[in-house]
Amino acid sequence: MNKIKLVSRPVNWNKIEDPIDMDVWNRLTSNFWLPEKVPISNDIQSWETLKPHEKTLTMHVFTGLTMLDTIQGTIGAAALLPDARTPHEEAVITNIAFMESVHAKSYSSVFSTLCSSADIDEAFRWSEDNPHLQKKAEIILGYYKGDDPLKRKVASTLLESFLFYSGFYLPMYWSSRAKLTNTADLIRLIIRDEAIHGYYIGYKYQLALAEESEARQAEMKSYTYDLLLELYDNEIKYTADLYDGMGLTEDVKKFLRYNGNKALMNLGYDPLFPKDECDVNPAILAALSPNADENHDFFSGSGSSYVIGKHESTTDDDWDF
Amino acid sequence: MANQVIELDDNGVETGKTGIESAMSYHELNAMINLWDKDGKMQLDKDKLAVRKYFLDHVNQNTVFFHSLKERLDYLVENEYYEKEILDQYRFEFIEELEKLAYSKKFRFDAFMGAYKFYTGYALKTFDGERYLERFEDRVVMVALALAEGKEDIAVSMVEEIISGRFQPATPTFLNCGKKQRGEFVSCFLLRIEDNMESISRAINSALQLSKRGGGVALNLSNVREYGAPIKKIEGQSSGIIPVMKLLEDSFSYANQLGARQGAGAVYLNAHHPDILRFLDTKRENADEKIRIKTLSIGIVVPDITMHLAKDNEDMYLFSPYDVEKVYGVPFGDISVTEKYQEMVDDPRIKKQKIKARTLFERIAELQFESGYPYIMYEDTVNKANPIQGRINMSNLCSEILQVNTPTTYNADLSYDQIGKDISCNLGSLNIAMAMDGPDFAKTIETSIRALTSVSDQSDIVSVRSISDGNHKSHAIGLGQMNLHGYLAREHIHYGSEEALDFTNIYFYTVVFNAIQASNKIAIERGASFANFENSTYASGEYFEKYVTQEWEPKTEKVKELFAKSGARIPTQADWKELKTSVMAHGIYNQNLQAVPPTGSISYINNSTSSIHPIASRIEIRKEGKLGRVYYPAPFLSEDTWDYYDDAYEVGPDKIIDTYAVATQHVDQGLSLTLFFKDTATTRDVNRAQINAWRKGIKTIYYIRIRQQALLGTEVDSCVSCML
Repeated sequence: MNKIKLVSRPVNWNKIEDPIDMDVWNRLTSNFWLPEKVPISNDIQSWETLKPHEKTLTMHVFTGLTMLDTIQGTIGAAALLPDARTPHEEAVITNIAFMESVHAKSYSSVFSTLCSSADIDEAFRWSEDNPHLQKKAEIILGYYKGDDPLKRKVASTLLESFLFYSGFYLPMYWSSRAKLTNTADLIRLIIRDEAIHGYYIGYKYQLALAEESEARQAEMKSYTYDLLLELYDNEIKYTADLYDGMGLTEDVKKFLRYNGNKALMNLGYDPLFPKDECDVNPAILAALSPNADENHDFFSGSGSSYVIGKHESTTDDDWDF
Repeated sequence: MANQVIELDDNGVETGKTGIESAMSYHELNAMINLWDKDGKMQLDKDKLAVRKYFLDHVNQNTVFFHSLKERLDYLVENEYYEKEILDQYRFEFIEELEKLAYSKKFRFDAFMGAYKFYTGYALKTFDGERYLERFEDRVVMVALALAEGKEDIAVSMVEEIISGRFQPATPTFLNCGKKQRGEFVSCFLLRIEDNMESISRAINSALQLSKRGGGVALNLSNVREYGAPIKKIEGQSSGIIPVMKLLEDSFSYANQLGARQGAGAVYLNAHHPDILRFLDTKRENADEKIRIKTLSIGIVVPDITMHLAKDNEDMYLFSPYDVEKVYGVPFGDISVTEKYQEMVDDPRIKKQKIKARTLFERIAELQFESGYPYIMYEDTVNKANPIQGRINMSNLCSEILQVNTPTTYNADLSYDQIGKDISCNLGSLNIAMAMDGPDFAKTIETSIRALTSVSDQSDIVSVRSISDGNHKSHAIGLGQMNLHGYLAREHIHYGSEEALDFTNIYFYTVVFNAIQASNKIAIERGASFANFENSTYASGEYFEKYVTQEWEPKTEKVKELFAKSGARIPTQADWKELKTSVMAHGIYNQNLQAVPPTGSISYINNSTSSIHPIASRIEIRKEGKLGRVYYPAPFLSEDTWDYYDDAYEVGPDKIIDTYAVATQHVDQGLSLTLFFKDTATTRDVNRAQINAWRKGIKTIYYIRIRQQALLGTEVDSCVSCML
């Protein structure tokens, strides 16, 4: 621990110790959004075309996601704060924490737009009773509350880059089937954020790890793979609980392995799952693309393409006509 | 034969399918074009397989089968799917021949997107929405029969032009023609709002009526008094334009066309209206829910004076429309702010506020980053180029319609006192590549003008009298263009290059000649011109000045060659002199002839690039309410054309502006112009492009699009559209 003295340092953005902090900060702030941006109500018609078990599944998935974002927003990101290497990192992490809360609230706005309150209550009860969802939360919370900063980072990266995706699969699946496309837009905004969060925390992990002894590095490596496998085993059961009824479990598992590899990549490790076990349904993979090059119809949705612009005043030369 | 089994093998698709591919759904096959294969190659063939699979697994299995055309038509008329009156205009044998002609052309969808879009959005379905009652050929025949109004030879030319892909009617026409349960054929409506409650409530009523019938509606708010203006001389009473926008937004989301299309609307406001900043702030990401406008589009009307004030970095005054109307006796939107600016500044009777002119432009650019809005209409540029008597004070939902209007007044019981003129416009576009390949360009244009004119003749929106009256007087139509980038790429020309600008100029020059000639021909046949033709610059001959005094010829060898091998003949100065004489003597039937729309859906069906824009991406990811995510490869995309398909973000705003500028000089209305920026752009870059556009004589700017690249390390593996 290199922060023994309690000196308060003002964050000076004119003195950047790590340029990645600035890059990520700029990216996160220009990506800022609120759920009100997306006209979820345009999905009401589409929601009504879902069969009852499809609706239930969708609601369960969203309560699961709400749970993860709640953890990450209120505990997870906050737990990373004391380990920050630079004051700028602290600023970035507070932004991450805030956006996680925005995400958690977004699911609620999907619920309140599409479902009745009785259904919503039922879905939340389900999330409290589902053993696999609870276990997932327990494992992650355990590390957040533990005292190893490296392990916290690994847990957090696995959460951001891996655990969310069993849930993200479904809105992507619906969107590739032309259902709930505005909800998918919202989820894509969340994915856009999570992709950066996972990348950033993983990057900070790699920096911290490089300073450790070789023995410690080896310990962390095997710890990471073990944790991923533990989470993966649980995740498979959770996935089966959710998706067996739709016959999608196998496909979701491929998606989990694909994202498991991505999470390892963020942490600087080699992929665990062989490539041909990760051949995700192309419709899902293509739907995921976090790039904002989608050419949507402005009249029916807001898309995920707009960002907060960089302000720069014009000069007299610009107006020379 | 209406229902023969279609042979997709004509697409060049292998019939033998491998195990995995036959197990994949068409959605998955289509999505594969956005992913590289294991050797890092594009998988364009997968899209062809997706089309095939879509027909085998979905369309063929869900199409109602009829034994004969007779059986089919009887069934569709009896069950109120088709309009009997349209079929009754023709001999049955003729309809049979026409169907045969259509099917003999062996039409095939080139892209999955086109097929999917057609069957989900356009083909006639059973009332329960479960099964298809039409193939593409049947739709084309029905559209031709409806638009030819009983004339067999014209119906034949329309089938020829549409099935060959040379001419494509706009969505409302192509979707609705011949159907018994249908919306209107017209795409677009523009309504004035005057500064009184009768007019505002009538506008909301009209918005509901028009939206229900499937049109996009734009409304002009410039005349409505500002926030805090007096009502009945009591100061501080008016709540300004924002609540009117809210009412309109809700109206549009309530009324949609049988669920087929979302209701959509736009509002325009003059830059010198005192509510201008509040108007822009409705699109802020963090705007309060009470004032936030989500789905209503907004546009701003910018006169030249605003540009000059910004150039000199001066304050700009905003004028109370309430006071302006009292002083001048005409609504604010009907006066030229540029002309009266100093006079209004000096007039103590007009209440005013001031803001920094450059601040306004910066604010506009900030908003465009966040939301893509507002559209911009350069008011003085538009009016200078307007051949028709009167004033243009607004545009429409896609910023390509530019026509004059006049106010409507009401009695105390809300009945009409005097019905003014509001605007409607029906559209259709040529596929530039197909039109250039066609045997007879002049005939392609004439048939298109006749088709559009027929839509205008058949339209009668009785629920909004100012619209139907306006339409009867003006017969305005908008012939558009699409697939410019596709054509250029196929011919190995880079978008925005010297050769591309040369081609665009001569192409539009050739179009305008043939369009006016066709409209003149119709005027001669019918012995009628549009109302007030005599006060247009067509009648005075002034309009033709640049064509009868200047030579217009291709400058580059390449473009000379392209026209030499095409069925399009470039008109000479002598041709123009002859046409000018004929127009001055006999008039033209259509008050407006051209407008270049952004062409969304129809360009997919037609396998075109949109409008005259560069492509947004070589593999475009398209998301729409009804479709989900679908991937659309640029037409003619191959290893060979890859390099000519720089996307719009690479091409950059300057080349797009240059392209539109050479086209604009030959188009009487507007052209939807979207500007594309990478996310490294700042508000200043956007402002510079706006200044450049205005200098080059661009009439309107549609959306601003910003592309954000995925942060390094967060891309999806092997995704084609992630590649720079």
